[in-house]
Amino acid sequence: MLNFEFQRELIARRSFLGRASLGIGSMALAGLLEPRVLAAAAGAKSGGGYAGVVNPRHFAPKAKRVIFLCMAGGPSQLELFDEKPKLSAMNGQPVPESVTKGQPIAQLQSQKELLCFGSQSTFGHFGHSGQVISNYLPHIGGIADDICIVRSMQTEQINHDPAHTFMNTGTAISGRPSMGAWVNYGLGTDCADLPGFVVLTSRAGTRSPQPVSSRQWHSGFLPGKFQGVPLHSTGDPVHYVGNPPGVDRRRQQDVISTVNKLNRMRDAVEHNPEIATRIAQYELAFRMQMSVPELVNIADEPQHVLDSYGVTGADGSYAYNCLLARRLAERGVRFIHLYHRDWDFHDGLRQHIVDLCQSADQPTAALIKDLKQRGMLDDTLVIWGGEFGRTPMAQGDVTQAKAGRDHHIRGFTMWLAGGGIKRGMSYGATDDLGYHAVENVVHVNDLHATMLYLLGIDHERLTYRYQGRDFRLTDVAGKVVRDILA
Amino acid sequence: MGESLRDSHRVRRGGRGHTAAVWAAGCVVVALAQVAAAEDAPSFNRDIRPILANSCFVCHGPDSGTREAELRLDTEEGATEWAIVAGDAEGSEVIARVTSDDPEVRMPPAKSKKPPLTPEQIELLRKWINAGAEYEPHWAYIPPERPPVPEVRVAASAAADADASLRHGESSIGETRPLDWPRNDIDRFLLARMESRGIGPSPEADRVTLIRRLYFDLIGLPPTPAEIDEFVADTRPDAYEQLVERLLASPAFGERMATWWFDLVRFATTVGYHGDQDQRITPYRDYVIKAFNDNMPFSQFTIEQLAGDLLPNPTMWQLVATGYNRVLQTTHEGGAQDAEYRAIYLADRVRNFSETWMAGSVGCAQCHDHKFDPYTQEEFYSLAAFFADVDEYGSFSSVGGNELPTERPPEMLAWTLPIYERMQKVDARIAELEAALVGLLDNDWEKRRAEMIQLKKERLDLEAQFVPTMVTRAVEPREIRVLPRGNWMDKSGPVVQPHTPQFMRQLDTGDRRANRLDLAKWLVSRDHPLTARVVVNRLWKIYYGVGLSKVLIDMGSRGEAPQNQELLDWLAIEFMDSGWDMKHMIRLMVTSSAYRQSSVPRPEVDTLDPDNRLAARQSRFRLQAEEIRDNALAVSGLLVNKLGGEIVKPYQPAKYYSALNFPEREYTPSSGDDQFRRAVYVHWQRQFLHPALLAFDAPTREECTADRPISSTPTAALVLLNDPSFVEAAKALAAKILTNNDMNDDNQRIHWAWRQVLGREAQSEEAAQLAELLHKHRAEYTADPKAAEALVSVGISAKPKDLNVTDLAAWTSVSRVLLNLNETITRN
Repeated sequence: MLNFEFQRELIARRSFLGRASLGIGSMALAGLLEPRVLAAAAGAKSGGGYAGVVNPRHFAPKAKRVIFLCMAGGPSQLELFDEKPKLSAMNGQPVPESVTKGQPIAQLQSQKELLCFGSQSTFGHFGHSGQVISNYLPHIGGIADDICIVRSMQTEQINHDPAHTFMNTGTAISGRPSMGAWVNYGLGTDCADLPGFVVLTSRAGTRSPQPVSSRQWHSGFLPGKFQGVPLHSTGDPVHYVGNPPGVDRRRQQDVISTVNKLNRMRDAVEHNPEIATRIAQYELAFRMQMSVPELVNIADEPQHVLDSYGVTGADGSYAYNCLLARRLAERGVRFIHLYHRDWDFHDGLRQHIVDLCQSADQPTAALIKDLKQRGMLDDTLVIWGGEFGRTPMAQGDVTQAKAGRDHHIRGFTMWLAGGGIKRGMSYGATDDLGYHAVENVVHVNDLHATMLYLLGIDHERLTYRYQGRDFRLTDVAGKVVRDILA
Repeated sequence: MGESLRDSHRVRRGGRGHTAAVWAAGCVVVALAQVAAAEDAPSFNRDIRPILANSCFVCHGPDSGTREAELRLDTEEGATEWAIVAGDAEGSEVIARVTSDDPEVRMPPAKSKKPPLTPEQIELLRKWINAGAEYEPHWAYIPPERPPVPEVRVAASAAADADASLRHGESSIGETRPLDWPRNDIDRFLLARMESRGIGPSPEADRVTLIRRLYFDLIGLPPTPAEIDEFVADTRPDAYEQLVERLLASPAFGERMATWWFDLVRFATTVGYHGDQDQRITPYRDYVIKAFNDNMPFSQFTIEQLAGDLLPNPTMWQLVATGYNRVLQTTHEGGAQDAEYRAIYLADRVRNFSETWMAGSVGCAQCHDHKFDPYTQEEFYSLAAFFADVDEYGSFSSVGGNELPTERPPEMLAWTLPIYERMQKVDARIAELEAALVGLLDNDWEKRRAEMIQLKKERLDLEAQFVPTMVTRAVEPREIRVLPRGNWMDKSGPVVQPHTPQFMRQLDTGDRRANRLDLAKWLVSRDHPLTARVVVNRLWKIYYGVGLSKVLIDMGSRGEAPQNQELLDWLAIEFMDSGWDMKHMIRLMVTSSAYRQSSVPRPEVDTLDPDNRLAARQSRFRLQAEEIRDNALAVSGLLVNKLGGEIVKPYQPAKYYSALNFPEREYTPSSGDDQFRRAVYVHWQRQFLHPALLAFDAPTREECTADRPISSTPTAALVLLNDPSFVEAAKALAAKILTNNDMNDDNQRIHWAWRQVLGREAQSEEAAQLAELLHKHRAEYTADPKAAEALVSVGISAKPKDLNVTDLAAWTSVSRVLLNLNETITRN
C-alpha cells in the first residue's frame, strides 16, 4: 500500500504541477471531456481529489450526507401516517365527484365505482411531540420526536416507473441525472476508497416486488463517475470487485503495479494526461477491492447492534441494508439510497401492510437511533417515503380483505430526520378524505430544493449545461421548505 | 461554385469578414477570411447571440409565455422597438440596463441568478450596436452553400525547409507549409485556418499507428500483426488508400457504423419502462448494418426508416426499417393510461427525430415555446402530428403480457441478415442451375439435379426461419392537439395538422394531409439547412475527435457556432452532391493529410489551440465500450465474426437483474460461439445495461445520444481486471502465446504478445517489466498449482490440453496486464 501511496503522490505532483509547461494544452484536452469537473478538480485539494463544483458551498451546510429510504411501490399514508376519521366514517360510500373530477387515475380507470376505503390500521400519539403514527409502526413511533412528518407531499407521475424517475431526477423524461449524482457532482465525496453514491435494494419477500431500474441512479448527462454504484448481497458486493479465481491480493497487486509502471513509461512518450487519471483509477480500484469487503463484513458489529436492527446475517434484507447504510455513512459516502421494493398494495392491503411494516419498522428506527447515538444524525439527512402514496378509494371490493388502494399523487406522506430538520414536527395536511394536500403543500421539487439547501447548495445554482440548456435537479421549480428547518 | 453565390452567402451572414481572401506578401497560404479581424464589427451569430441567449432570452426570447416587459431581444423587430437604438449604444436601454449599478435596474436581475455581463461582453454589445445592431438568422438555419476552397500557394524557397521541419515534427509557428501537404480539400480548409493562426500541421503518424487508427475508426477492430506488417511493407504510393478501400468494403464496417446510429435512434432490445421486457426488433438491427455495408444513400436510409411503409410496394427491408418509429421506450404497466402514453410516445418521437436528423432541441417546446430557438409550442405538436398515424396502442397493457419477449404489435415476420444472405446465395445458385437445365443431358446432370433438390430444400428451410420484428403500419391519423403545459389531460388546446416549422421550408402537399414520407423527404431535401450539416459534423467527430461544431446534439442557437463553418458547409454540400454517399464522406475524411497526422501534442500548438479545434494534430481518445470488448476478443483469438442474426449474452454478474420484475428473470449467458461475438449484438437491457458496457460509457439508449462521454473510473478498471470475459480473453491470449508460434524463449514470446495486443514493438524496458511479472508468477503458480488451475478455468473456451497449467497461468497474468494498458484501450 505504501508503494501505491507514493505513486499517487508522484502522479499528483506530476499532473498538477510538473506539467505546467506542456500542461495547459493537455489539460485542456482532457477538459474537453469534462470541462467543469476538471476545472473544479484542478482547483481542489492537491492529489486530484474531486471536491465538487459547489466549492465553497452556497450556504453553510447542515448535512454532509443523505440517506434516502425509498419505500418503492408507494406506501399507504392512510394506514401509516395520515389518520382520516371521516374517510373511515364514509367507508363503502362513493367518493364525492367533486373530489376526483379531472384527476388522473391509474388502475382505477377500469373500475366502475370509486368508494371510500377507511384506514385498515389504528393510530396512536407517539413521543413528547405526540405525533400521530400508525400502531403498526411502534418503532418509528419510538423516534417520533426525532422526525418531521410531511403529510402534504405531491408528485406528478402516477405510475411507478415514471414516478420513481420523477422522484429521483425531477422529471419523467429518461436521461437526466439522479439526485445522488447531482449531489456528488456538486459536493464531491469525503471518501477516497468508496464511490460517493451507493445504492442498496431489498425485498420483504411477501409479495411480487416493484422493479427498480438502474435509471434511478444513473448520472444522465453528468460524467459517469457520479453514477450510483449498487451494493449486492450475493456475489461480489460491487461488480467485479473480487479478484479472478486463482488470483490473490498480492498477485492482483503485481498485475496492477505492472500495468501502472508500463502506463507511466508510455506517458513519457505520449504525454497523455489521461494516463495519470487511469493510474489513479487503478489504484482506487485496488483500494476498493479492500475497502468494499471490509465495508460489508459486519462481523465487527456487536450483537446488540445487530439485534437492534434485526439483522440476522448478510442476507440483503432491508435490516441488513439499513445497517450498511450506517456503515457507509461512517465512511463518508455522500449519498446512500435504499430501495425496499414491496410497497405496492393494489390488493390484500390489510395483510400486506402488516407484513411490510414488520419488515421495515424496526430497522428504520434502529438506523435513526444508531446514527443519533453516534452523533451522526446531526449531519446526516434521512428521508423516508415512496414515489407516491395510495388512494382513499378502494381498489377491488371494499368489503373484502383483498381490497387494496391504487396509486395516488395528490397527497401523500414522507418524513425527514436529522441534518438540519426540525424534530418532532408534523407539517402540512390533506383534506378530510385524505385526497388532496391542502395545507403547506410540498412538491417533489420542493423536497429536492430543501435537501440541496441542507447540503449547502442553492438548487437554482447547481446547473449543468446540456443541449444548450442549463439543467437543474429542480427543473424550473422548487422552493426550500423553510418551516421544517431546525 | 461561383463568386456570386458565395458573395450572397457572405452578405446574409453579415460582418463575418468582407473579403474573400487576404493575400499577404511572403505568406504562403492564403485563405478565406475566416479570421474575423479584431477591429471588425462583432458578428451577431458569433459574438452577440451567445450573450443574449445566455443572459436574456429566458425572459426576453422566443417564449411568449414567460416574456417580461413585452420585450424580445431575439428578433430585430422586437429589440429595436425601444430597447436597442441601432448605431447608438449609449442611447440604448439595453446598455443602460446591463451596466447599471442599481440592483433594481440592472439586467439580468438578481432573481434570475444569472451573473452580470462581463466588461468584455458589454464592450461587444456596445460595438455591435454602434456598428448598426445588425441581426442575422442563426447560421444553421440558413441552407449551406458551397464555399470556395481556399487556394494554397507556396513560396518555392520555403517549401523545402518546411518539408524538413515537418519530417522532424518541429515547431512550425510562423513557418511555411509545403505545397504537397494538402491531399484533398479538407486539408486546404484546415491548412488555411492553421496558417491564419501561424501554425502548421503535425507530421504524419507512423504506419503502425495509422493502421490501428484506421481499423478502429472504420471497422471497430484492431489489425493483426500480419496486417500491420503487410501495410508497413507496402510501398505502393496508394497503399494507404487501398487499405481504406479494403476496410470500407469489410462487413465489419457496417457493424461499426451501426453502433453510431443505434446511439442516435436509441436502439435497444428491451421496452425500457417498468418491466423492461425483451422486445422483437433484431431484423431492424440487421437492416441498419446492411444499409451501411451496402452504402445506402443517407437520404434513402432516412426515408426508409421514417416512412418505408408509405413507399410504393415496399420491400421487406423497407418495412423492417420502419422499426425506427417503434424502438422508443414503451410500457404496459398496469395503470398506465392510453392517452397519457400516446402523448409520451409522440413527444419521444419528436425529440428523437429532431435530435437525430436536425440536432434540434424541439423537445424543449413540448410545454411552452422554445426559449432560444424559434420553435413554437404549436410547432412541436405539428411535428408530432406527422407521427399521428403510428400508434395503435398507448399502453400496450391489452396486448403485451409479462412474457419474454413481450408483444408490441404491429409486428411482421422478417429474416435476419445471415438467413437473408444465405437465401440470396441459394437463389443465385438455383438460377445458375436452372439456366444449365436448358441443355444436354451430360455426365453432370445427375449431380446438378441432386444439388438442385438439396438447394430447394434448403431454401424452404431458410424461408421458415423468419422472426417477428416491430414495424410501422399507418392507421387513420389520430387528432393531435396542442397540450397546454404539456398536460395530456388538458383538451383545451387547438387541433393541429402536420406541418414543418414556420422558419423553415413549408411542405406543399395541396389538400393532402402531409405525412411521414413528406417529412422524411423534407429532411433530406437540398434546401434543408440542418440534416447534411448534422451528419457530416457527427462523422467528423468520429474521425477527428471533436465536432466542427462541438455540441453534436444541438445545432440550434445554444449549440456552438462552428469553428470552421466554411469547411462544415463544404462537407455538407459535398455530402448532398455525392447523393448522400456515406462512404464517400468517410473516405474523404480519412484520406486527408490532416487525418494522418500524429496525435502526439506539440506544446506550442496546444497552448494556442488547447481544444485542438484547428486539427493541427490528430486527437486521441479512449476506445468505445464495444471496441474495448471486441478488441480483447480479437487479440486473444476468441472473436467470432458472424454478421447479424441472434442477440448474444456475455457473462454477467449473477443476480444483476434481480431488481427487475414482471417477470422476474434469470440471465443465461450465451454458449458456444455466441459468447464471443461483437458487442453490437449484445442484448441491450435498457434498465440494466451490461455492467462492462456501462462502465465504459455506453448509453442505456433511453434517449438520443449524439456524443458519448468518456469517463475514467475505478469501476471501469475493475471490469478490465476482473470481468470473466476479459480474464478469459487473457487466458486465451496466453494459450495463443504458448501455442501459436514456435518460439521457445520468454523474451521472444513477450515481444510477440506485445505486438499482438498493441501493434507496435515493445521497448526492451517494457518487455523487462512483463518478464519480471512472468517469472514471479510462474514461481508462485508452480508453488500453488490449485490457484493456477482455478485461473485458467475461467470461461467456457477450452484450454489446450497439452499446456502446462502453471505456465499458462503465469502468461495469463502477463496477458491481463496487456489488456489493461491505457494504450490498449486508446486510439492514437
